[in-house]
Amino acid sequence: MANDKSSIQLVTRGILSENPIFKLALSMCPAVGISTTVMNGIMLGIAVLFVQVFSSVTISIFKNMIHPRIRIPTYTLTIATWVTVIDLVLAAYMPEAYAKMGIFVKLIVAFAIITMRLEMFACKEPVKDSFWDGIGMGLGFMVGMMAIGFIRELLGSGAILGHDVLGFKPLLFFILPSAGFFVVGLMMAFFNWIEVYYKRTKGLQ
Amino acid sequence: MKDIITIVIRLTVSCLMAATVMGLCFIFTSSAKKHNEHVREQRVMYELLGYDAGAEIPESVSLYEIYRYVVSRGTGQSIAYLLPEGEDDNFLFVEIDLDGKFLNAKPMEMSEQDALEHDVRTKHIQADLGETVHAEFADQILIATDDGKRTAYIIGGKFQGFKTFINVMMAVKPDFSILGLEILEHEEDPGLGAEIEQDYFKNQFKDKPFEALKVVDVVKAPIPDDYLKALNNKVSEEDVLKFREQYKDKDIYAITGATISTRAVSNGVKAIVMKFAYRVTVLDKVLEAEHIAVPF
Amino acid sequence: MVFAKTKSLLLTLLFLLAPLCVSAETLVVEQSFNGDHEIQATFATAADKAVAEDISRYTVFEEQDPDIRLTITSAKLGADGKNVSLHFADPLNTANTHVVAMKGSGEAEQTLFKVSKSYLGYLFGIFISALLINNFVFTKYLGLCVFFGTSKKKSTAKGMGVVFTLVMVVSAIMSWFFYQFILIPYDLNFLQIVVFIGLVSLTVQAVDTILRKVNPILFNSFGVFLVLVIANCVIIAVPLIVANNNYNFFETLMLALGAGGGFLLALYLMSAVSERLQLANIPPTFKGLPIAFIVAGQFAMAFLGFSGLQVF
Repeated sequence: MANDKSSIQLVTRGILSENPIFKLALSMCPAVGISTTVMNGIMLGIAVLFVQVFSSVTISIFKNMIHPRIRIPTYTLTIATWVTVIDLVLAAYMPEAYAKMGIFVKLIVAFAIITMRLEMFACKEPVKDSFWDGIGMGLGFMVGMMAIGFIRELLGSGAILGHDVLGFKPLLFFILPSAGFFVVGLMMAFFNWIEVYYKRTKGLQ
Repeated sequence: MKDIITIVIRLTVSCLMAATVMGLCFIFTSSAKKHNEHVREQRVMYELLGYDAGAEIPESVSLYEIYRYVVSRGTGQSIAYLLPEGEDDNFLFVEIDLDGKFLNAKPMEMSEQDALEHDVRTKHIQADLGETVHAEFADQILIATDDGKRTAYIIGGKFQGFKTFINVMMAVKPDFSILGLEILEHEEDPGLGAEIEQDYFKNQFKDKPFEALKVVDVVKAPIPDDYLKALNNKVSEEDVLKFREQYKDKDIYAITGATISTRAVSNGVKAIVMKFAYRVTVLDKVLEAEHIAVPF
Repeated sequence: MVFAKTKSLLLTLLFLLAPLCVSAETLVVEQSFNGDHEIQATFATAADKAVAEDISRYTVFEEQDPDIRLTITSAKLGADGKNVSLHFADPLNTANTHVVAMKGSGEAEQTLFKVSKSYLGYLFGIFISALLINNFVFTKYLGLCVFFGTSKKKSTAKGMGVVFTLVMVVSAIMSWFFYQFILIPYDLNFLQIVVFIGLVSLTVQAVDTILRKVNPILFNSFGVFLVLVIANCVIIAVPLIVANNNYNFFETLMLALGAGGGFLLALYLMSAVSERLQLANIPPTFKGLPIAFIVAGQFAMAFLGFSGLQVF
């Protein structure tokens, strides 16, 4: 990975071309489980962003001091520490949002995306780049969660962020627990279709 | 060998650092957590009593906490209540046997702060009762008074829902009709059982008289449109009251696709209020017969 | 504290192993709920009809509410004089333990017995609940990364499921011990995440080493999956749920078994569909993950049918 990447490129890459939910297909559990409202997406997105950025920066700072043979345990310990911190903070200051997310905040510790970014990026790159990469990945996750939450909340309860916008409930199905799978699957197919369509029109020109 | 030593040292150092971060965070957040929980509880209580956030609470209103314990000594069990006595830090521990007969009452000195903390309070009582007697905390009720007259009770409870437990808090008038219901915790399915936390469901319980609540059932029918509007507070206040009057003796309308959750809530509320009503009547009788003066 | 826990554990074990020896000595041999309105009890010897059918001799209450007496409408003695069934006015909450106090013909003597649902049935209920009703993949949405990654072939799915179950059971039991004997007594509850993830990693490492030495053939077929297990939310979720619900040892064991079995079931079902999907004609945009998600969604809807199922 080249070092001359600008911060903007690093951030947009996380949101678009390497979106953790739709492109890398990692950390799908919350994307299906608690994406019933936009608010849930934002809250969990913030938690993941926090953990990702802090872990990336921590590992990047100490990258020369980490013995290669205990790399993975050190990553796990770092992530677990920051997850504990965000868990305590959310439980203390936002008890209602925390109750809605339930067990998923604690499960950030097992998110493949965070470990993967530490292994692939933060342990090689300087602190500044790791920071922006962490922001990009965290935002990418948050945007993905919000997009799914937007569709499910709008179609399922006719509201956005809890405000009634449609005045009726188009399809209750979308807010039901199992609909998460369908929404994610359909959105993935939609993005694939855009890509295929884009390539085809480019090829014709 | 040298490798192992460096690995051990580095792991130890990183563990120490992690422990420091987590420990500091715990110290800073634990008091805030307690405070916020307390604030939330207070807010819910006042909302149930009809004082919305920001509303002025009159001076004459005061709240008294009563804690109920199940006391077991060797052979038999009895029920005990820890009651506030007067204005200062004195409490009264009143024991009543299972048939509702007065056993004894002893004063207990405890600061109000201590009484609020569950662990401290229980330890205090246990120390006062001695080794052979075991007191187990059962629940607590809150009595709201206005000018010395009881205006409402606040009670809580937990019962089995469709998935896991549903935790509720409600305000009950002195005649045991329901003043308000709040769902504190639940894990019902979103879109189905989770609708129990919506206003249109909770408001169905409002002003339901005790006699109607005793026999309340669940009907599987859609809520009539005009009633639904009233439940969502979308009509004028007089109309809301009119609808409440009209529907007060009727059954609870089931949430579409969540009859079991609805039934769980209505049965749970019914059971909590009925048990509570029985206990308060017994307690009042005992207090009156023994001429025990209480501030509520 | 520690001693008391161990003692209660031993007592439960005793209770599980020898239910017959304990109850045989008392007057009442057998007691159970019969539907929502009835409690049935069997006496050791035939009872006097007038005494047994006198409802004023019975007091029944739920264990945690000793002051609230339940109203009995009738008591009926069976033809053999040993079976008595008590009818209640209101439906009983059979999830709670009920205490029945009975006055015999002599004025002073009183017999107490407790009626509750069978403990084994309750444990089995936890198992079934984790396996089907709250299936970790289809209704709790956990472990999806591994689920979609390894459900292409039936043989892989089976191996993966077995390894997961094994690791889940071992790590859940270890976590339970740590949680009960270290985290709770020393008020270190906030360290849950670190401790549990550490124990899971440790278990995986141990299973890896032991399997490599003891059964190399099995290791060769399972070894690949072990690496995947570490960073997986389905494993770490079990101890977290255990800690949340304050489960005891047996409940923890049943939950872990059920969760592992549920994961195995989900993987197997999904792989069976995946093998067929490879032969199907799927629109190009849906190939791969999108169609897998939609299939999983259909499974999830089917599993929704289990919810509300009550076992015992």
